[in-house]
Amino acid sequence: MKKKTIAMIIAMTMAFGCITGCGSTAPAAQPTENKAEVSETKTPEAAPEESSDEFGKLVIFQSKTEIMDKLNKCAEDFTDETGIEVEVWETSGDKYFTDLKTDLSTEAGPTLFSLAPGSESVEMADYLEDVSDLSFIDKVSAGMVDEVNGKKVGIPYTLEGFGLVYNADLVDVSTLTSTDALVSFLEKAKADGINGLGFSQEDYFLIMHVLNTPFAIQDDPADYLSKVLAGEVRMIDNDAFKEFGKFMEAVRANCKNPADITYDNNCGDFATGKTAMIHQGNWCYSMFADYDVNFNMGITALPLLGNNKVAVSVPAAWYINTDADAASKNSAKKFLEWLYTSETGKNYLMAEFGFVPVVEGMTSESLDPISASVAEVAAKGDTIPWSMANWPAGISTSLAPIVMQFYVSDMTGEELVNQLNDAFVSANK
Amino acid sequence: MKTAKTSKIFANIALMVFCLLYLFPIYLILTNSFKSRSEMYENMVALPSKLSLKYYESALGKMNFAISIKNSLILTLVSIAILVVLCSMTAWMFVRSKNKLSGALFGILVATMLIPFQTIMMPLMQEMNWIGNHMGVKMTDTIPGLVFMYIGFGAGMGVFLYHGFISSIPVSLEEAAIIDGCNTWGVFWKIVFPMLKPTTMTVIILDVIWIWNDYLLPSLTLKAKANRTIPISTAKFFGQYTISWNEAMAALVVTIIPVAIFYLACQKYIIKGVAAGAVKG
Amino acid sequence: MKIRKGWYALFTFPLMFIFFVVVIIPFAIGIGFSFVEWDGLAKHAMSFVGFDNYLRVFTDARFLQSAGRTTVYTLISVVFVNVVGLIFALIVTTKLKTANIARTMLFVPYLIGGLILGYIWKSVFSEFFLSIDWGNWLTDKTKAMIAMIVVTTWQMAGYVMIVYITGIMAIPDDVLEAANVDGASFLRTLFSVKFPLLMPSFTICLFLTLSNCFKVYDVNIALTGAGPNYQSEMFSLNIYNEIFDLSNFGYGQAKAIIFFLIIAVITLIQVSITKKREVAM
Repeated sequence: MKKKTIAMIIAMTMAFGCITGCGSTAPAAQPTENKAEVSETKTPEAAPEESSDEFGKLVIFQSKTEIMDKLNKCAEDFTDETGIEVEVWETSGDKYFTDLKTDLSTEAGPTLFSLAPGSESVEMADYLEDVSDLSFIDKVSAGMVDEVNGKKVGIPYTLEGFGLVYNADLVDVSTLTSTDALVSFLEKAKADGINGLGFSQEDYFLIMHVLNTPFAIQDDPADYLSKVLAGEVRMIDNDAFKEFGKFMEAVRANCKNPADITYDNNCGDFATGKTAMIHQGNWCYSMFADYDVNFNMGITALPLLGNNKVAVSVPAAWYINTDADAASKNSAKKFLEWLYTSETGKNYLMAEFGFVPVVEGMTSESLDPISASVAEVAAKGDTIPWSMANWPAGISTSLAPIVMQFYVSDMTGEELVNQLNDAFVSANK
Repeated sequence: MKTAKTSKIFANIALMVFCLLYLFPIYLILTNSFKSRSEMYENMVALPSKLSLKYYESALGKMNFAISIKNSLILTLVSIAILVVLCSMTAWMFVRSKNKLSGALFGILVATMLIPFQTIMMPLMQEMNWIGNHMGVKMTDTIPGLVFMYIGFGAGMGVFLYHGFISSIPVSLEEAAIIDGCNTWGVFWKIVFPMLKPTTMTVIILDVIWIWNDYLLPSLTLKAKANRTIPISTAKFFGQYTISWNEAMAALVVTIIPVAIFYLACQKYIIKGVAAGAVKG
Repeated sequence: MKIRKGWYALFTFPLMFIFFVVVIIPFAIGIGFSFVEWDGLAKHAMSFVGFDNYLRVFTDARFLQSAGRTTVYTLISVVFVNVVGLIFALIVTTKLKTANIARTMLFVPYLIGGLILGYIWKSVFSEFFLSIDWGNWLTDKTKAMIAMIVVTTWQMAGYVMIVYITGIMAIPDDVLEAANVDGASFLRTLFSVKFPLLMPSFTICLFLTLSNCFKVYDVNIALTGAGPNYQSEMFSLNIYNEIFDLSNFGYGQAKAIIFFLIIAVITLIQVSITKKREVAM
């Protein structure tokens, strides 16, 4: 009995010691390791402004798994040119944000990482370094540097846009100018035996992107969102959401059930001409690589309330961990400078990663047709924002199950909008 | 006699047919590791049009296969060797000295098997980083640190399995050995441990599969390229929205082959071990 | 048997030390977190809220439903896994020529862990079933549950089979011969001789399946997410979403502790019932 008590006491004290030990945040992510690294690294000759500073090991962690292999090569080239050691961590795409939060919160974070500008960067605000001293910061396209609490913190990766990706042989998009026109096209397509518009079952493709439009076409999307979250207005009282409800009913009535379709199959249906349009973004072009696609495609707006603008925004941006030691932060800035201004770096961004240019003077000849479409509307300014980036973090897992239910039941569009509304309010608690 | 023979043949055939149907999902993994995205879209169930090892080559290259498999092997073998030794010793002590401390510790060990890992992963990482920062023992991003954690997490099941088996073997042999002049250490290693072989095999098999395939724990602790295990290096085939199916499946096939071979090799010992144990028992 | 304290400490301390560091301390820290409101980021303030998080659990309809659902799922799965696993074990310990190969084939599903199998099954239940006009099982709440039970059984039957095989092989041949000589029928031998002697295996398998099913996560997230309308969301997924998607770390921890207590009570009852039925050999 005595032993048991003693054991318990020891365990409790150890546990308690650790709680207090961990609660107080000691800065400097990996102090010992970095110091050792610095002495080994040969100081690069070509270090323009920060020549007096040291360069520590750079640790990169980012969410776009599709550029991972090329990023590894890019990091090697950077090391060759500057002598700065780089380590690229890997993760699966859907676990990225969880991993990043755990790492940062347990003082084992990377030096340079990616976030989606919006609710993610706001949530992590305390971990983000001010990057306004980067030389090219003023050349980044207007409004694309992510600012949180008045600090410039995020450097955009690329531009992405989503809307109706169409097959020009199957649909004449100039006729799709209103919800009614779109609905009648869906009905006609069903009669012709093709799928008018394809959605798929993944949270973002099922609901997040399509629900963005009624939010983004409000006069002041941010203000409207905050009123919805606070419960001051109900979405169903707004014309855009009324049309959204009608539109969703039309999709359920005339299109393949999105709950049955995976992203892979949705893209396959489109590439093989079984689906006239898919509600997707320019990222889906890579999915067509294995197919012989011999039709013209492009991207156009979802015409709720006559909307004619595509939702274009920065999907991800680079951020520097403010807790990293000074030498590593120098390396991170150096890396961004190199990536966005050197010839090798720019070549990676444009040719290898296939990004849409976001910095003045950068051009790309290698854009796929949908990305070119996105770049074009962005240049003209015919865009609506990604309101969804400011929705409560993690809300997708609350919204998707509701929409799944909508597609397999006789729930009305109005009920759907109301249930989505409730999910917004409860996620805000 | 003849009917008995035909019914036996029939039973054998029925069993094989059942097993093949049972492995239908495995068939899907195998066939789709040879198909392009468009071919998989056309028909997921059909055989591939050609047996090209293209996706295997690209998957192995992207995974950094040589390093990953070395790390996975070291991690798995070392963790399990230590787990088997420590768990069997502990379980034996718990069974043979039935006091309140044994009961309480055994209870705690078993109860913690019920803790979902997700709920302690954050505090665990805080503690491990704290040990690294304040006590100078680097626990994260090292293979030995991860081995340490696997021993902790495997303790519950290991002791539980051994405990069950040891309870069922008679104590008389051990008493006889003590009378012959063996000390406790000797009794355990010379008499008891050999008798535990069937359970040892069970523990080894279950732990091998668990540690070999585990993704969550290594993904939290191992970051450096040189430390990656197989499950971590295959994670990149899973994008946020899309899975690179052919490479993911090719990687999976390559990953299970070593475990499958290992399992086949062990299977013999389970049977032999049990037979030997039964004779002595 | 008398064992001196020094030996006791030598045999048990190493494992128990590691176990306390790796499991108990983080768990204790986790309990501490369940009394605060916090989003999980070290730089953000925690506020102490006492038992508020625990009280909130009882008004959280989505959580309570997932609790009920997990219990139903677990009870059904445990029965299926064990019945199927035991039948497999009985078949592959017969003298059929194909028994050995069958044993390997039936164990294969367990070799492949994790998410990817869930994804394969997902395409079986949705795409494949749609292609043979069975409809998509995963969009119907009852069929989605059945699908989860099927996958769980498929994956875990081989696992418990291994433990049952160990148990069956350990039954001394003379006992079975005696039964044979006495003219006992196949079923009579099974129920009156084999099953009582297999009680330790039952204890182990029931415990392993109970705890694994309660903690189900991989199958849940890969097969259904939580849909339709959260009608297939289980305990672990609910907790995981609370902690990592909705960033309610303290509240999620409180849920986890309650979850742990529930499983602990249920499995304790199970172990004490089956332990009583074990016969000493």
